[in-house]
Amino acid sequence: MKRYDLIVVGAGPAGLSATIEAAKYGLKTVVFDENSRPGGQLFKQVHKFFGAKEHKAKIRGFKIGEQLLADAEKAGVEVHLNATVSGLFDCKEITVIENEAMHHYKADAIILATGARENMIPFEGWTKPGVIGAGAAQTMMNLHGVQPGSRVLMVGSGNVGLVVSFQLLQAGIEVAAIVDAAPRVGGYGVHAAKVARCGVPFYLSHTVIKAEGDDRVTGAVVAEVDSHFKPIPGTEMHLDVDTICMAVGLSPMSQLLSMAGCKMQDKGGIVPIVNEYRETSIKGIFAAGDVGGIEEASSAMITGKITALAAAYELGFAEEKEFREGETCYKASLAQLHEGMFSPANKGRTDLTVTDEGVLLSQNLLKKGYLDLGEIMRFPGAADEVKKVHGIHPVIECTQNIPCNPCQDACKFGCIAVGADITRLPIVNPANKCTGCGMCVASCSGQAIFLVNDDFSETEASVTLPYEFLPYPEPGTKGMALGRDGKAVCEAEVVSCRLSPAMDHTALLTIKVPKEMSMTARFFKAVGV
Amino acid sequence: MAMYLDRDDDLGGFHPEPDDDLIICRCEEVTKGEIRRAVYEGMRTMTEVRRFLRVGMGLCQGGTCGKLVKGIIAKELGVKPAELEECTSRSPARPIEMRVFANEVSDDE
Amino acid sequence: MRIENHPILGTFHEGGQMVTFTLDGKEMQGYEGEPIAAALRAAGVMTHRHTLKRDEPRGVFCAIGRCTDCVMIVDGKPNIRTCITPLKAGMKVQTQYGIKAKE
Repeated sequence: MKRYDLIVVGAGPAGLSATIEAAKYGLKTVVFDENSRPGGQLFKQVHKFFGAKEHKAKIRGFKIGEQLLADAEKAGVEVHLNATVSGLFDCKEITVIENEAMHHYKADAIILATGARENMIPFEGWTKPGVIGAGAAQTMMNLHGVQPGSRVLMVGSGNVGLVVSFQLLQAGIEVAAIVDAAPRVGGYGVHAAKVARCGVPFYLSHTVIKAEGDDRVTGAVVAEVDSHFKPIPGTEMHLDVDTICMAVGLSPMSQLLSMAGCKMQDKGGIVPIVNEYRETSIKGIFAAGDVGGIEEASSAMITGKITALAAAYELGFAEEKEFREGETCYKASLAQLHEGMFSPANKGRTDLTVTDEGVLLSQNLLKKGYLDLGEIMRFPGAADEVKKVHGIHPVIECTQNIPCNPCQDACKFGCIAVGADITRLPIVNPANKCTGCGMCVASCSGQAIFLVNDDFSETEASVTLPYEFLPYPEPGTKGMALGRDGKAVCEAEVVSCRLSPAMDHTALLTIKVPKEMSMTARFFKAVGV
Repeated sequence: MAMYLDRDDDLGGFHPEPDDDLIICRCEEVTKGEIRRAVYEGMRTMTEVRRFLRVGMGLCQGGTCGKLVKGIIAKELGVKPAELEECTSRSPARPIEMRVFANEVSDDE
Repeated sequence: MRIENHPILGTFHEGGQMVTFTLDGKEMQGYEGEPIAAALRAAGVMTHRHTLKRDEPRGVFCAIGRCTDCVMIVDGKPNIRTCITPLKAGMKVQTQYGIKAKE
């Protein structure tokens, strides 16, 4: 039986981060992953991450995955792919199914980073081909380059549902609607707004009740639900779709921990009871990432580091000083991600009405997925508009406290500030020094920054918006400008569509519209599209 | 949280519901009605329902239906899902062919 | 349908090799190494198997090898998860009925 100092189960963001950290302290480490590719769900994420620079903000998920893999390779980590850990025992021995054989391994510490699986809700016809998990849609589109369908109903408005809906649009697939049984959008407002302005309607307090079709999905029926989430008869609505995507939450895959005898609890999923270092009730067995509780990749990377550091210290590879310094640093980093409107402390709260700054939250954003014009003017990001600043200036439609600050670093002229508390809403520097370079527009992971020039011409204003679709419209292309709700509001013409490597595939689309539409026009559709 | 287990509770008679024909365990094709009926026939734990109906014993080993089955049993018993004891997790965690299972390799250092 | 050009990811299967395989005897094409299920989806195939008890069609559900709804008979072996099994030239893929192919 092969012996190691540390065994890591799962080579996703938590597992890889743990191994890279362990390598720093010289632990003899091995990672096992049952998939043929490492990286967990990271390689399916094409959107830019939130947070601060240390959390890899502004970087696309799959690029973070590539970075982690390169770091792991540099650290000389031993990775076994297509290796399924089939047993974990309290003596810290594991059995692995690899190359058609059963192998045994033993270690002094084990970090379990097996992630989570998708939840499901059953409804009439849910077993028909065409009903898939949102993760399945991502896998097909982003890993294999295949469209899962041509017109989709998304069930669930949490971050997964919102982000995958946008990815479906990017893959050339129509999204007929996003439904959620809850009365409010579950994910970030900016993720919802990105999708709403493309014309995707939100039906909150609605759920899917039937998948139609013989041997595959050819349609769906949704209905409004009451306060007990029961469908209300008479409210049924038919949608023409060939795919139904389920994004109704995740559950930790913690069976190996229960198997070993760790004390578990049901906290929205079966999770191990852990201490501040994510160590379970069995000394030397740790849980990192989503298996310990559903969060995100950013937190997974930090808990991976914390568990590896704790293991290194416990086994005598890290000195007290190194351990305390590392522990303080990582915990602070994690704490930053745990703040704001969507923090674990606020989970399930429906009574939030104002931001930390005291500005009334947009109820439209929560109920329909887009901001109302009147609501935007309340927020610090619209200050230049309120003051009717001349010339080009940013309009930041960021209206919820989320730990995120790439916009601040994006502007070389100091036009945007977030401050030390990265959950604060961005404010615009009153001394308008905007040059219209558009770096802020491209750097905002929520695609919530626009450049507006009300003085473009005598009768026209220009609006520069982030654009991540193909084909890029040519200058002179005529079409319609869409409002935040995705409805056509006026005629528009493309002035330019700029792309530079620094913008990492977020093109800057500048359109000209009638002057009075500068604060309404937020998306563009070419004529004949 | 204390785990629920009361074999003397009176659940009344089984009453059919309109969605009893809904498939819950996709692998073994077990319906909601069959799971509900099992509770009325005296099954009180996840493990008992599983052994009676084979929910969670198919190829996916309860990955898709586990949480749903727990919710249905809990609703019939009038308790919170968190009060029901989970099925025991045993090795092998994934389905494995017998010839592979028996092919134990000793990796000597 | 395959995605020709993705705004973030660009093109797929650069330098990839198209190979032939059969589905229930019918000749199909796909990229060597991509999951069998991807090649089938690209060709518009939705049904991978029929269930044992109710003879109902099933297809890709989770796409990551967890749910086992996409299993088919590949080169004579049943219960092969097509969403994670790489396509090889000349593979014989059959729709699985219960746990067997249709005679």
